[in-house]
Amino acid sequence: MTSKILAVAWWEYSEKIKSKAFIVSLILLPAVIVGLVLVPAIFVTGSDTEPRELGIVDETGAYASTFSELLGDRFILPDGRPNYRLHVIARGGSADIFQMVVLADSMVLRGEMEGYFILRSPLGDLVDAEYRTHNVGNIRLQEKLTPVLREAVTAVKLRRRGIDPEMIAELGHSLKLRTFKVSPGGRSEETAFDQTFFSVYMYMMMLFFIIMTSGQLLVRSMLEEKSNRIVEILLSSLPARDIMGGKILGLGALGVTQLLTWGIFATAVSRYSGLSVIPLGGALLLTVYFILGYLFYSAIFVSAGAPLSTEQEAQQVTSLFSMGLVVPLALSFPVMQDPGSALAIVLTLIPLFTPMMMAIRIPSQMPPLNEIILSLCILGASVFVMMRLAGRIFSASVLLSGKRLSFRELRAMLAKMQ
Amino acid sequence: MLLATDLRKQYTAVVAVDGVSLRAERGRMLGLLGPNGAGKTTTIRMLLRIIPPDDGIITYDGLPYSEAVINRIGYLPEERGLYRKSRVLNTIVYFASLRGVPAPEAKSRAISWLERLEISHYAGSRMEELSKGNQQKIQFIIAVLHDPDYVVLDEPFSGLDPLNQGLLNGILQDLKQRGKSVIFSTHVMHQAEQLCDDICLIDGGKVVLEGDLNRIRAGFGRETAKIEFTGDPGVLDAIPNIRVVEKFANSAEVLFTDAGRTAEIVADLARRLDLRMFERRGPSLNTIFLETVRGRRGREGGAGK
Repeated sequence: MTSKILAVAWWEYSEKIKSKAFIVSLILLPAVIVGLVLVPAIFVTGSDTEPRELGIVDETGAYASTFSELLGDRFILPDGRPNYRLHVIARGGSADIFQMVVLADSMVLRGEMEGYFILRSPLGDLVDAEYRTHNVGNIRLQEKLTPVLREAVTAVKLRRRGIDPEMIAELGHSLKLRTFKVSPGGRSEETAFDQTFFSVYMYMMMLFFIIMTSGQLLVRSMLEEKSNRIVEILLSSLPARDIMGGKILGLGALGVTQLLTWGIFATAVSRYSGLSVIPLGGALLLTVYFILGYLFYSAIFVSAGAPLSTEQEAQQVTSLFSMGLVVPLALSFPVMQDPGSALAIVLTLIPLFTPMMMAIRIPSQMPPLNEIILSLCILGASVFVMMRLAGRIFSASVLLSGKRLSFRELRAMLAKMQ
Repeated sequence: MLLATDLRKQYTAVVAVDGVSLRAERGRMLGLLGPNGAGKTTTIRMLLRIIPPDDGIITYDGLPYSEAVINRIGYLPEERGLYRKSRVLNTIVYFASLRGVPAPEAKSRAISWLERLEISHYAGSRMEELSKGNQQKIQFIIAVLHDPDYVVLDEPFSGLDPLNQGLLNGILQDLKQRGKSVIFSTHVMHQAEQLCDDICLIDGGKVVLEGDLNRIRAGFGRETAKIEFTGDPGVLDAIPNIRVVEKFANSAEVLFTDAGRTAEIVADLARRLDLRMFERRGPSLNTIFLETVRGRRGREGGAGK
């Protein structure tokens, strides 16, 4: 008998893996992630591979060399060359500034350099800085270079007042706040908030996509067989509950394939971008919740979908029950901020929400053991009960087509089967 | 031998099958006949355990229904559909696996069946690319690929052109020769007449006639005539000593209520119609069917009043 269940599972798997719905969902999630996270990340952290040419016209004559030193110090290309090469076009008040500007402008226009700075000192110690470029849209460059220029100017001024250069370096050391995630067992790892936020969203999206894809494929295949009466041939070969079991198994395997593909993709991305997108701790536990969640939702989809006869109706039903996945998504922010709150705990223990809630809580703060055990027990028991109910409804309604089973008829049939 | 005794199935409001018993023997063909809604499909579904009977016993060569028995039955459902997007050969191999045939074996058998049914060039096609008749052939292959001892076919000829009906007929005869038990339902009487060894006539969920077709015919005891004419067929009803079984614009089948008065009858007919042909013969299955069903309904209607 098991070999027939496996035959059904393999059929569902091998046929659905080629389906458009599956391929779209497989590509859609990474595409969404790339779109939302990776593209801006590349813009922010992505580095040059070739040195950029910059110039400086330093009317004061005091800052150009310090600025150049600092630039060479701070920005180095991966191959060891300086990221920015600062050409001193003029230094000191001797040259005709106006002519120098005309010269430098033409160099920019000819593409010999990307842009250049003009430093003037209209009054005493005051410094007036200007950056001239053909590409004012390059905000990143200005954001990166402005603090360095400020630092150079400050350093020169302090030196002038007789302060030790070492002390200047020390004083100038800027403050950077780092965040550590404390976990039981004395371990702590450096995690940025946006990193946690990112992995929470990724887990939630994965769960959502897997359950929705597999759930919809499940309902659709059920209705297809029902409407074209293939189900009669199936039922003459194996019992209804085995057909259902085989389908759930096959489409579950499809979900695992999805998960693995995304896992490989995510690992590749994290390697490439240097972003640690998947903290591995808790991933295993989360997989257990994923599987239970998939089974629970599959049983719901079968129970709700089997008595229907058209795909439109099925669409409505699956979207109605997918609210169970959307509610935690909407509440994810408060839960992430306070994962131990009463709201979080209560929602976690409702089986419809458990998998999603755990997708939020496990990456942000591992819930206490008793909560994990309790939620697993409740979810496991719900899966068991729902599966039995789904099996009965599936058997009772799978032969009826062309009409929707009323609740009363369904109840009568279920009672008869007991 | 497949033996069903006293099968009963009740749906929410109606009794679909009410005490049906039938036997299908090896090497013979059993026709399950009856008007629409008689309970043929429900009976077939119970024979295959697609739905469990509320009451009654079914044995297969004396054995109760089991996993081993399942793999010895082949089934062609009445309303036919297949996975539209799937490939022909894959689909056949899948259904064979559900009947316990390993994939390599199923594949080679499928190819030879496709050749036999003259559609081997479709092996790699998607099901939706096939015509309705060809899809039906695929379904037939699915029903017989695992070489079942009992082949149950619900309206196998509907939707096939005469050429393919002949092809299917040949295969069914062959199955019978090889000692298989072929059970098929139909409401097309002349097909049943040509093919069946035994019949089981169901009406209103009950068996009204059952057994060896030749014996049933002989036992019907009355003779009929086929007549062809021009004129108003309405006058037939007024002619004594006959009863009209079926009438069309230019022909009719009549049953003699008194076979001794043939000459009188012919004379009456010739007087009122332009009689072209008068052929006296044994009862057709169609006549037996109509007479039995009408007679039974008439009795029941009379009893109800």
